[in-house]
Amino acid sequence: MNSDHKMQQKLRHEAKALLEQDKVDLIIGFEAGSLKFTTTPLITKSKDDLDRLVINPFIVNNLALFLPDFKGRIAVASKGCDSRSIVSLIQDNKVSRDDLVIIGIPCPGMIELRKVEKLTGKDRDELDDIIREGDKVVITVDGKGSEFPIAEVLSDNCLACEFPTPQDYDILLGEPTATSQESRVKSRESRVKGQGSRVQSHGEGGGLQSEASPDSRLQTLKAMSPQQRWEFWRKEFSRCIRCYACRNICPSCFCKRCFVEESEPRWLMPMPRWQENLMFQAIRNIHLAGRCTDCGGCERSCPVNIPLRCLTKEMYDLVDELFHFKAGMDKDAPPLMTHYEQEEAEDLIR
Amino acid sequence: MGAKLNSEWEPQLLGFLCKWCSYGGADLAGTSRKKYPPNIRIIKVPCSGRVDPLFVFKALQMGFDGVLVSGCHPGDCHYQTGNFRARRRIAITKKFLEYMGMEPERIQASWISASEAGKFVEVVTEVTEGLKAIGPNQLFDEQRP
Repeated sequence: MNSDHKMQQKLRHEAKALLEQDKVDLIIGFEAGSLKFTTTPLITKSKDDLDRLVINPFIVNNLALFLPDFKGRIAVASKGCDSRSIVSLIQDNKVSRDDLVIIGIPCPGMIELRKVEKLTGKDRDELDDIIREGDKVVITVDGKGSEFPIAEVLSDNCLACEFPTPQDYDILLGEPTATSQESRVKSRESRVKGQGSRVQSHGEGGGLQSEASPDSRLQTLKAMSPQQRWEFWRKEFSRCIRCYACRNICPSCFCKRCFVEESEPRWLMPMPRWQENLMFQAIRNIHLAGRCTDCGGCERSCPVNIPLRCLTKEMYDLVDELFHFKAGMDKDAPPLMTHYEQEEAEDLIR
Repeated sequence: MGAKLNSEWEPQLLGFLCKWCSYGGADLAGTSRKKYPPNIRIIKVPCSGRVDPLFVFKALQMGFDGVLVSGCHPGDCHYQTGNFRARRRIAITKKFLEYMGMEPERIQASWISASEAGKFVEVVTEVTEGLKAIGPNQLFDEQRP
């Protein structure tokens, strides 16, 4: 029995107890999705549904998204990044901590199917099983299992994750994942050294590889001249179809009415021209300053593979650099943009 | 496009000036007959804290070559904290758009009090010169040279 399975048993048990003791009205967790290696959110009031709750390496969605939509007491399963999004929502007065039971999942990282496909050269439908065993992942194809270091298949945002263990929780489903970070970084470094010559194109990723290390894409972009960077984003946003998946999946995008849908004044035309796509994403990121927890949901949900984490991660680093602020760390702290220090950022002003 | 590139080109600067300080400073510059570049168009806002990053971005998208946000000196805000909030917003907007590839000179901020007509003239002159140096805003043109 691996640790995911243990956590899953404990989650079902705890969720059942919470409903039975009438401590909550609603449980939000994950259940198996309709496709292999996917999960979908499970939102239920019924005890009978709880046996469908799962914990596996594919519970990627940020469940904090649903909290402002429901009234009553809610128990929510949350990974490290989700819990920070929840804290961020508490800071913004969108949800009340008293109404929540946070079931913390000490997160060992999420597996990116695209990376598994690249690694094995097989389509996801041809894979029999993907099982995480500590620092290894066992991928079974045609009945044959092969072992890989987990770092090769983890999502970029999980590789860059600072706080895999929830920041705030009522119940923790396992031991905190504190040291896994270092081991992940180590195994990644050795991998990069060993296989440095392997070159793989990222398809539509505009030449940016999501492979080598989580921050290498940012480094590549920062090494460019401003003109090259603008050109890069112009190209990327020419593909955008403005489906708003990135906005709709984001727990920090909680405005009832988004500025893109305003008609008085009309800030943006609905037609997906790159100029307006770029403006939408730039303003969205400015709104997310101090709220984004780098859960990677936007990039994962993008149907045309725009490297959106290159924007969100930059904003994440920027607020840390300028204001020493990390999103969702302290529920009693004021939100970034409502607060100020007497002396800060003066070098940017004449 | 063609007209933009010839030697007659003059930068267009949009200024968001706070009603209590910077607008007063600009007014004083006018009434004391100080000379400053006519490239600035001024929008009076109740407070520099009123300036949404969206305004800045929209102005640049509409073709302004630069945007100046100006308010009271820290501690002098008529509403106590408006300019402190503006400062955080502007810092983030400027840094983030710089990362996306926009020239940082295009987004400017200053603190100008109602008595600082001289500083207003100085800031507008410097910003205009800076914009002349980096050339017209072609960021949102369909085809860039």
